Amino acid sequence: MTAPAPLAVHMEGIVVHYPGGVAANAGASLAVAASSLHAVIGENGAGKTTLMHVLYGRRPPDRGRIRIAGSETRIPSAAAAIRLGIGMVSQHTTVVPALSVIENIILGAEPQVAGLIRLRLAIARAQAIAERLGIELPWTAASDRLSVAERQKAELVKALYRGARILILDEPTSALAPQEADTLFDVLRGLVANGGTVLLVTHKLQEVLAHAQSVTVLREGRTVAELATADTYAEELLALMLGQRAGPAGAPLVRAPDDSLAYETPWQRGPHSEMRRAPADPLQVRPMPLLECSNLRVRAADRGPGLCDVTLEVLPGEILGIAGIDGSGQQELVEAVVGLRSPASGHVRLEGEELASLDVNARRERGVTYIPGDRQAEGLVLDFSIEENLLLGRQRDRRFGGGRHIDGSVTGATAADVIRRHGIRAAGTRAPAFSLSGGNQQKLVVARALAGAPRLLVAVQPTRGLDVTATRRVHEALREAAGRGAGVLLVSLDLDEILDLSDRVAVLYAGRIAGVLDRSEADQRAVGRLMLGT
Amino acid sequence: MHASGFQTGLRHTASALGLGVAAAAGAIWVTGGSPVEALTALATGAAGSPEALLRSLAKATPLLLSGLAVAVALRCGLFNIGAEGQILVGGLAAAWVGGMDWDAPAWVHAPAALLAGALAGAAWGAVPGILRGWRGTHEVIVTIMMNYIAIHLTHYLVNGPLRDPTTMAVATRPVHEAARLWSLPGGTQFSAGFFLALAAAAAVAVMFGRSALGYEIRAVGQGPRAARAAGVPVALTMVRAMCISGALAGLAGAVEVLGVHRRFFDAFSPGYGFDSIAVALLGGLSAWGVTLSSVLFGGLAAGSVYMEGWTATPRQVAGVVQAVVIVAAGSRLLRQRRRDEE
Repeated sequence: MTAPAPLAVHMEGIVVHYPGGVAANAGASLAVAASSLHAVIGENGAGKTTLMHVLYGRRPPDRGRIRIAGSETRIPSAAAAIRLGIGMVSQHTTVVPALSVIENIILGAEPQVAGLIRLRLAIARAQAIAERLGIELPWTAASDRLSVAERQKAELVKALYRGARILILDEPTSALAPQEADTLFDVLRGLVANGGTVLLVTHKLQEVLAHAQSVTVLREGRTVAELATADTYAEELLALMLGQRAGPAGAPLVRAPDDSLAYETPWQRGPHSEMRRAPADPLQVRPMPLLECSNLRVRAADRGPGLCDVTLEVLPGEILGIAGIDGSGQQELVEAVVGLRSPASGHVRLEGEELASLDVNARRERGVTYIPGDRQAEGLVLDFSIEENLLLGRQRDRRFGGGRHIDGSVTGATAADVIRRHGIRAAGTRAPAFSLSGGNQQKLVVARALAGAPRLLVAVQPTRGLDVTATRRVHEALREAAGRGAGVLLVSLDLDEILDLSDRVAVLYAGRIAGVLDRSEADQRAVGRLMLGT
Repeated sequence: MHASGFQTGLRHTASALGLGVAAAAGAIWVTGGSPVEALTALATGAAGSPEALLRSLAKATPLLLSGLAVAVALRCGLFNIGAEGQILVGGLAAAWVGGMDWDAPAWVHAPAALLAGALAGAAWGAVPGILRGWRGTHEVIVTIMMNYIAIHLTHYLVNGPLRDPTTMAVATRPVHEAARLWSLPGGTQFSAGFFLALAAAAAVAVMFGRSALGYEIRAVGQGPRAARAAGVPVALTMVRAMCISGALAGLAGAVEVLGVHRRFFDAFSPGYGFDSIAVALLGGLSAWGVTLSSVLFGGLAAGSVYMEGWTATPRQVAGVVQAVVIVAAGSRLLRQRRRDEE
């Protein structure tokens, strides 16, 4: 061994308090060797993103020391971080859609002469960087034409164009097909081989173990472990992330004692699998499909392909997963089923009844409920209280008044009941939705969708951004709905989630059903191939 | 929760008012007047005697109704800049019905004239509501254009078909005795319209507090995508909110015509529709907040006339108070919104 080279990044005792006194980081540390791929993992709220914001100059820490390549420094702004050679590829790629790819890359550091941008020079520089990484990008195309994966590569080139030697990637694979993710990691490996340092923030343990050399585990704002990935395994990392709450290996669910019965009522108990797995008797009459979409054509929501000739069905007690790269027609399918978008042609039937002419309310009365993908914009009115949010859509329901007025005592009692049964942590029924954590917000959305025992539950990205515990609870709720005999249409970009929950998986590609796989045939590879249309 | 929001609103308004008074004092001092003397006169004119108080409430009446109008629309996320036009068409409709040779008793004629004013205002508000709800046309542009249509349409009608030929003034015939609102004798201009406006404020408070419609309006205003996803009829709710808003503004015009002027004078509104935006924002869009802020603005209007008469301080000084209060209150709203977005 030669003398140890200075660490690329060394952060110690980082403390960050958010207004309201919550400590997002309470003594977090991070040590990253130069030219390595280092992962940072932890549950939601463990402080990963905050720590990265500190490193990228977005949030100056209240206390703590930062050393970059051995010398102590302060990073008061993103501009300072860029000067230190730190680049960030964020979770939601930030591009100006109207600008071309190259214009987005040089934004903020335009090579210019007398106020005129030297685009050719810029392209030549970007091309050199891209070639080194083995990336190809259409430099002069409009940025909004790029796929999610291409945008991410553009962001990567952008960071390197600005001279970044330390790259932060925040959940880079959350919107990618498995093959695309593999390509990304090939690129990152090349980067590390060229002397770059990569910081990977993720919650996917397989990625960490497969691609990172070392890993830092955060829990409740503190660093609880720093390990070489060669010396650890998934169960250990999970246990470190969860801390005290981790159960014995193989335990299906970790539950806090106070909310152990949430989502469960007596008639829902018992393994749902017995109820819905029909014996494979070929002579048995197939159950009537609960939801039937036939030759469904839907015009595109904005750009995108829309929906073209989609035929699928959901059986009672079945979870049908819809996989696909973002923007493959998921939104159009969901909106056509719940009643937010009328199809150009084709049928949507619920137990044989044509739904096309019915609006959202009429469909809900027939048992179609909806967990929207964006809980903060579509699921909840953030300024409304828990009580008011539970009423949304049912404000003219007879139960809550005569149809015109709203009986505050009924809504209050209902809300109190929901808070208790679903284990929502809140100051009370009047607490505004924005004051809840992401997991509790989602519990609220799920609770509203489960009210009145729905027959078809349409769930879009139901666990996006949730931590392990909250995710398990949502998954359990979906399984229980299916166990009760309801059909579940599960749309998710998280392939693990789809494979974990679904009885069958339908894959959307460019607005068409690329294939429907049974649980037994559906794995990462098979679904991934269909997602890419190959 | 509601009460505490109201209280902080009150505190902010008080500090905004303090700032406004300080600015006015500065303006008076710079122009060589005596701030103490002038502001004392302003206060005396606003609330120094029963007559002054009644005068202030009379000035507050149209501001209260049109301030509620702006608040209802804004709760639905719609910026109704068109209250001025709605006031004009409401006033003219009330004058027209009130001037009909009907021979009906007062309990029929006056309500009919008020109803006509409200309906005309509602129709004027419905147009931008429909265009926004179903066509996506921005309501600010449409309401501004509707203002011009209202100004010129009433100008044409009151100069042409509806003009009273027996008078020099450009005005309609006087409304019948039976269509007039009760008013105090003397020069205070205080009429039953003030109680009507209070009743409207109570109705708006109940609508937002306990009705399904009020709930829908708030849901569309604060979370349009969530409301749509949950099946709230977003476009229809926008139209309903704009109809209610227009009706309240139309009522403001009708009350001025039936309770104060007794006929429709061309361009009778000194910009109530625009002041009402400030009244609504200062009142925090709540019915009772708007009530208080309209009384405040009414007092400033009444007091400034008195101040000008007694101290030769130009009445525009009251405008300084008003402007600073609006800017201070507005910046608070902006700050709040920015925090919400973060």
